[in-house]
Amino acid sequence: MKHNYFEEIAQYILENEDKFYRLAYSNVQNPQDAMDVVQNAIYKALSHAGELKDIHAVKTWFYRILMNESINFLKKNRRELLVEELVDEDAYICMQEYDEAEELDVRLRKLPTEVQNIIRLRFYEELSLQEIAEVTGRNLNTIKAKLYRGLKALRVEMEGLEL
Amino acid sequence: MTGLEKGREAYENIKIPEALEQRVEQSVCRLRIKRKAQERRQRRVRRVIGMAAIFAATMTVAVNTSEAFAMEARKLPVIGELVRIMTIRSYERTEKEMQVKVEVPGVDLGENDNGLSNIVNEQIERMTSQYEAEALLRAEEYKEAFLATGGTEEEWAQHDIRVKVWYEIKSQTKDTLSFAVKGTESWTSAYAQTRYYNLDLKTNTFLTLEDLLGEDYAAIANEQIKAQIEERTNTGSVFLSTAEGGFTGIGEDTVFYINEKGNPVVVFEKYTIAPGSMGEVEFEIKK
Repeated sequence: MKHNYFEEIAQYILENEDKFYRLAYSNVQNPQDAMDVVQNAIYKALSHAGELKDIHAVKTWFYRILMNESINFLKKNRRELLVEELVDEDAYICMQEYDEAEELDVRLRKLPTEVQNIIRLRFYEELSLQEIAEVTGRNLNTIKAKLYRGLKALRVEMEGLEL
Repeated sequence: MTGLEKGREAYENIKIPEALEQRVEQSVCRLRIKRKAQERRQRRVRRVIGMAAIFAATMTVAVNTSEAFAMEARKLPVIGELVRIMTIRSYERTEKEMQVKVEVPGVDLGENDNGLSNIVNEQIERMTSQYEAEALLRAEEYKEAFLATGGTEEEWAQHDIRVKVWYEIKSQTKDTLSFAVKGTESWTSAYAQTRYYNLDLKTNTFLTLEDLLGEDYAAIANEQIKAQIEERTNTGSVFLSTAEGGFTGIGEDTVFYINEKGNPVVVFEKYTIAPGSMGEVEFEIKK
């Protein structure tokens, strides 16, 4: 019988649930929705545990499922449009206090969801570009280009930054 | 501190709801129970397959040795002049409220038959009986689970439970015949089964990809499949990466049919090289 990594995947999920939640939350911007997205991703992953052929790929495999779930959720709920309205820069200029981190997050959320996640996975979750290529199913050069353009749009200091 | 470092700090400070841990643990626990139940069921199905195989073998001998049956079969609608593919056995029945519809095809290779038709017909017969037996067992378990979780017999009767086995001709010429035998269930697509037959009618043998594409068939097919995967990925399709068990190259178990243009079309079952949501994936290989 084919080996099924169900228990190994379950273990990985239980150890990293906070990370999954943060990424989902960054996408959907609501705790309940973020938990739903995480739960759906767990459901998909564990009911298709037999499809994972190499346990070393569990991280990229699971992140891919999680990202697809987030994107499906946004598509279904048209949240992207709402976020666009919410983060309208004019509205923010009126606010007295907003620090640099918040400003960065606002700009980040204006980028396409995929680019946002590439940046989060690279700099917040410290995945390698190769791993991100596997998560998104795109080739390495596409990821590099998207990351570069994303950072440029964010206007962050790129000098000394390790892509 | 750069903007990104601050961004990361804010990201790491995203508050984790207290309910998360419990929800994750519960999900994992429920899926573990579900999986154990599935494993038990699979063991039962495997036992039934063994019995069905013996039954099918007996049936096939009867079909192929009956003179009267063979005569009758020749009167059925024919396709092509020399070679016939036809419905050997067709019936509809209802068993335990479940509707079963079966159309078993068979080939008749005429005077030049060297025994190939027996091999093909026997395989088809075996596959259809097995599929039927397994599907009925799955339906019964579905019903059991339905009633055990609070459903009533009346509600169950509302379910449209159908098992269907049939065939589809993909292409046929004077020299080749390509067809698919399929089994499906109305309540789940997880167990759908397809078997392809590609016959060389000149030599009465099974056609291989090598016969159609030449010695370098693997390289030719792999190159075209990879190009098509890339093309479709760019238009929004999702395929598994190599590490996830995605496409690495065609192998001995790669199946195909021949389309109207005479080109082989390689088929990958659901889940094999792409996520289940992509369904079955096909690639036409141009000669």
